[in-house]
Amino acid sequence: MSVVAAPEEKPTVAASQPEVVIETRNLSKTYRDFWGRQKVQALKALDIEVRRGEIFGLLGPNGSGKSTTIKLVLGLLFPTSGHAFVFGKEAGDVSKNERIGYLPEESYLYKFLNAEETLDFYGRLFDMPAKVRRERTEALIQMVGLQRARRRQLKEYSKGMTRRIGLAQALINEPDLLILDEPTTGLDPIGSREMKDLILRLREEGKTILMCSHQLADVEDVCDRIAILHQGELKEMGRVDSLLKIQDITEVHAKGLSDDAKREIAAVIEKHGGSVVQIDNPTTTMEDLFLEIVRESEQRPGHRGSGN
Amino acid sequence: MRFSQDQFLTYSEWLFGDLDRWGGLWVGLIIAISLCFLGFAVSYLIALARSGPTEGFYAVAKVIRSFFSTDLPATSSRRIGAIAKLAFKEAIRRRVLVALAVFVVIIMFGGWFLDPKSPNPASLYISFVVTTTNYLVLLLALFLSTSSLPQEIKSRTIYTIVTKPVRPLEIFIGRVVGFGLVGTLILVVLGVMSYLFVVRGMRHEHEVAQIDGKGATGETTFDRSHKHTFRLGPDGVGVTNEVQSHRHSVRRIGNSDRYEVGPPQGYLGARIPVFGKLQFTDGDGQLANGGISVGYESNYHQWIEGASLMSAIYTFSQVTESAFPNGLQLEMNLGAFRTYKSDIITGVRGTIVLRNPDPQAEIESDRIPFIVQEYQVDRRVIPQTVRGRKKDQSMDLDIFRDIAPNGKLEVIIRCEDNGQYFGMAAGNVSLHAGDMPFWWNFTKGYISIWLQMIIVICFGVMFSTFLSGPVAIVATISFLVLGFFGGLASEIISKQREGGGPVESMIRIFTQSGAITELDLGSSILENAIKNVDEVIMRSMASLASALPNFNDLGTSDFLAYGVNLFGGLLGRHITMTVGYFLITCVISYFFLKTREMAA
Repeated sequence: MSVVAAPEEKPTVAASQPEVVIETRNLSKTYRDFWGRQKVQALKALDIEVRRGEIFGLLGPNGSGKSTTIKLVLGLLFPTSGHAFVFGKEAGDVSKNERIGYLPEESYLYKFLNAEETLDFYGRLFDMPAKVRRERTEALIQMVGLQRARRRQLKEYSKGMTRRIGLAQALINEPDLLILDEPTTGLDPIGSREMKDLILRLREEGKTILMCSHQLADVEDVCDRIAILHQGELKEMGRVDSLLKIQDITEVHAKGLSDDAKREIAAVIEKHGGSVVQIDNPTTTMEDLFLEIVRESEQRPGHRGSGN
Repeated sequence: MRFSQDQFLTYSEWLFGDLDRWGGLWVGLIIAISLCFLGFAVSYLIALARSGPTEGFYAVAKVIRSFFSTDLPATSSRRIGAIAKLAFKEAIRRRVLVALAVFVVIIMFGGWFLDPKSPNPASLYISFVVTTTNYLVLLLALFLSTSSLPQEIKSRTIYTIVTKPVRPLEIFIGRVVGFGLVGTLILVVLGVMSYLFVVRGMRHEHEVAQIDGKGATGETTFDRSHKHTFRLGPDGVGVTNEVQSHRHSVRRIGNSDRYEVGPPQGYLGARIPVFGKLQFTDGDGQLANGGISVGYESNYHQWIEGASLMSAIYTFSQVTESAFPNGLQLEMNLGAFRTYKSDIITGVRGTIVLRNPDPQAEIESDRIPFIVQEYQVDRRVIPQTVRGRKKDQSMDLDIFRDIAPNGKLEVIIRCEDNGQYFGMAAGNVSLHAGDMPFWWNFTKGYISIWLQMIIVICFGVMFSTFLSGPVAIVATISFLVLGFFGGLASEIISKQREGGGPVESMIRIFTQSGAITELDLGSSILENAIKNVDEVIMRSMASLASALPNFNDLGTSDFLAYGVNLFGGLLGRHITMTVGYFLITCVISYFFLKTREMAA
């Protein structure tokens, strides 16, 4: 199986280009203990690009380096080597945060604040004037459907409600880039569907989204492009639709052809020793692809076939 | 109350210093510059180990550049306000207000243990509440400031903060402001409670117990472990004698034989002392560098011998009639050193002479006798007109017109008992130039506690930027304690204390040799080596300690307890130091927060 990406433009190393929102170059992270001894190599020479307006998914089993990548991009961790650029700025630059919204894995929010106070607090951190904060708070509470719980302290919230207020705080500054760490974890199917619809809607609004997840169905549903990580290495990267295409099988579905035409086609196919049902590429499921990559990677460590 | 020489410095003297003493400004600058170099060196070494010489240098330079180019200009008061508000809420949620309840319990039961027979109960009450408040507030500030940031890192709420455009400085300043506000709130409440406790604790009433037939002298009832005697004038109004540092007014009601005793007066005050410059004359009557030492009696005093030409000369300035409308009120708290027991009841005799500082004028008062009772403050009023001599001509002299015509006055004190000594210090003779209201002095004392609290918060938050909670508490306490005992190291270096530094004292402990004897190990090379090692240790300790806040130095609570107006210069110094420490801890915290991996 080969992987085909559909690059709209030449993949240049050009963080300065507005089209590239996140770029990592040779990004590596090694965790060390207090004495500087190497503990684990969490990320090995990652090169990815996230382009404007797309939903980019980081996929991988637990401990594959997804969260590490996100933390490096956010500047919560510093790379051991290599660089991460966001909007052309180094990830360590605080000013990049003006245009970022971040939903952490678990919503690490202040449990003693209520929804309004939470949103007001994060709004202040963006130096938003009181009037703007009130408007945004109101709009976001409506958007995530927490009208009834707006005055309740977060410690009383259910997991789903916590996720929603987490998302609301990530959107307080109308970010151009949203970074979502496991956005659907802990949500029931309806909540999960709503979250996915919301993500798609945000893309419609022109926002770029980087998300990581191990919920394969979610990634399949919403992501435009994905990168599959395993043991800190990039295994696969490309458009979801092309990654899921099996290139060496051809299916032909036809309708309304005359008998002559059918005979003609059948003759052509018979001449080549086949029979025709559909003319299309069948798809595998994301789950199959994922499991195959992980299995293959465990057998043969190292970078898997090319692609981008 | 003993004043140290250091406390007399005016604000500008302290700030700029003179030839003998470094000014606070220069010391601050030296600390700042050496911290810069030290910080740069340490961070470069760390960066060197992480990413090599050039990359490391680049990394350090980048952090320094971002401080000035982006992070400092982008600091926003709205973000600081948000973080401060959150810190405030967090502190309240963590039930810091329990401290108030603790205080109420302490003063409720503590009151039982305050000795009601004390000669100065006000001083006892004040030092009790002020000390309690001080420790309570500092302890609270310590725990609040050190635990907050480590807690946020542990619970990862910090992730949602540092992924917003929040600058490291804002995280630090916001916390200091937030906890400062909590502390202020608590301090104000404690202050009001303390004030009421003291004022109400002093309140008591007497009645007239007996009075002689003519209605002229009498005695009050015995209340609160004391009673007064009083003398009434022909108009039926009078004042009691002073017992336990206070008096009452007594008044006859109409022409009846009923009397009214007023509320206590003089308990709570804030005397404004005026200090003079102290000089000594030696046994020949010539100006000397100082008095003489009587051995290991007191480092505070210098001594003059009785029945000799030795004297202590205090030169006061700004002695004018408008400043002292009721005559010169002199307060003396002299030390006495007896080479023989003498009459222990009457004390040691001395004389005071007021002299015009101009030697050409030859104007001085006659000797005014007084008696030193050890450990008691002698307060006396010298009337405006005194008997004296002008060029050997005996006459009445006006203090303000004849002896101190341009406001300068010399007060000469001699000891008259042969073989006895007076202990003199710049702070133990003063003129009483009016009073400040007690509440204002009380407020100044609490401002001083507030400043201490801010310093503790600054250090606490700074340590918590790179240490976990409990370690940050220990580090903050160590810094405060080191600052407290900082003077010790410099005393050992200057050989004011015997026994040497840590290595030498350790050897002395094991060899059981006394601190006064020379160190004798049989090898002068070894001895010198040990002394040099000690010197290096003690010098570095002393320089570190001199950079740390020393609350003891300011001793502001004594001012309240002894009813002395807290010097403005002292408060000014304290404010300046607080600002200085705030700035230094700001910068240090910035670099730690900037270079810390929040998710590690």
